Amino acid sequence: MLHHLVFTVLFLLGLYTVIYKNNLIKMVIGLNIMEIAVFFWVIAVSDTGKSVPIYHLNKFAASFNDPVPQALTLTGIIIGASTTALLLTFIIELNKFADTIDSNKLEGLNE
Amino acid sequence: MKKFLVGLLFIGLAFLLLINFAELPEEKLITFSLSDYYIGFGLEQTGALNLVTAILYDYRGFDSLGESTVIFAAVSGIVLILSRKMLPVSSHGLSFIVKRTLGILTPFIALFSLYVITHGHLTPGGGFQGGVILAAISIIFSIVYGSAFDYKRYSPELKTTFETGGALVFIIIGGLGILFDGFFLDNLDFLTHSPGTLISAGSIPLINIGIGFKVGAGLAIVFYSMIQKTFGEEF
Repeated sequence: MLHHLVFTVLFLLGLYTVIYKNNLIKMVIGLNIMEIAVFFWVIAVSDTGKSVPIYHLNKFAASFNDPVPQALTLTGIIIGASTTALLLTFIIELNKFADTIDSNKLEGLNE
Repeated sequence: MKKFLVGLLFIGLAFLLLINFAELPEEKLITFSLSDYYIGFGLEQTGALNLVTAILYDYRGFDSLGESTVIFAAVSGIVLILSRKMLPVSSHGLSFIVKRTLGILTPFIALFSLYVITHGHLTPGGGFQGGVILAAISIIFSIVYGSAFDYKRYSPELKTTFETGGALVFIIIGGLGILFDGFFLDNLDFLTHSPGTLISAGSIPLINIGIGFKVGAGLAIVFYSMIQKTFGEEF
């Protein structure tokens, strides 16, 4: 199945970014890529080729796609946006104090 | 050597994931799942045509309350960290043509966001989605007209009022559910008109309006705090 493959590639790409990159903003971008991979996978798996889970006024279609994963994904997107904003805020403050956003050049964290 | 080992680890992880996916069952194992219940009884129990909205604001309304609390906490943290001074620090904005064009376009963006918010139970959309469009207006003001214009039109106090007000609307409607039906966040059925009209689905549109203003104001606050601190020394 194609979406399993796409999920694997996207997720590992995000994991690679989080592990290998030293720039903190790139790490946040990697986290977001992993997040989006999961959302994509949940939506793609729940899609069975039926119509969207919204009733039409005149014709009441009987078969819908599963609405529960879509609601969960909406929740996840909101949480992801909040955490991303908070992480970027921490990076802004860190840049003000340490004058760098490179995780290798941060001093005073080792001892 | 270390890179090689980590690459091997990644390939192994990919292999394991794909094996796991190959084991997934093709057909449904449960004959009557929760989703079938929502699809079967969602319209007659909530009156909302959009089943995703019905789940988010009726069946799982308490989860949405927690979700908006997460946004509230994130915005509070960002404001606490970033804004030591709430002064308007402005750029000059973009060129005259961009300003005029967005002056014409902005009312329509506001109209669209209000449409998405208020029709959340009928069409795709809802409070969260419309709120993000609402926040886009404030971001456009900050970028195109300069953040002093944004400060004058929508001051941080006004945004804070909208944010807390939206959260309060949500909690008050939940409390009214206790008062009338006996359960927190129960659907206020006496507001329900026939399904498919704008005033239907009980308390879902009201919660949508509260959430929409809350999310819009929250994201506008986040953007305003970041831009103020980041460009504070240059202008």
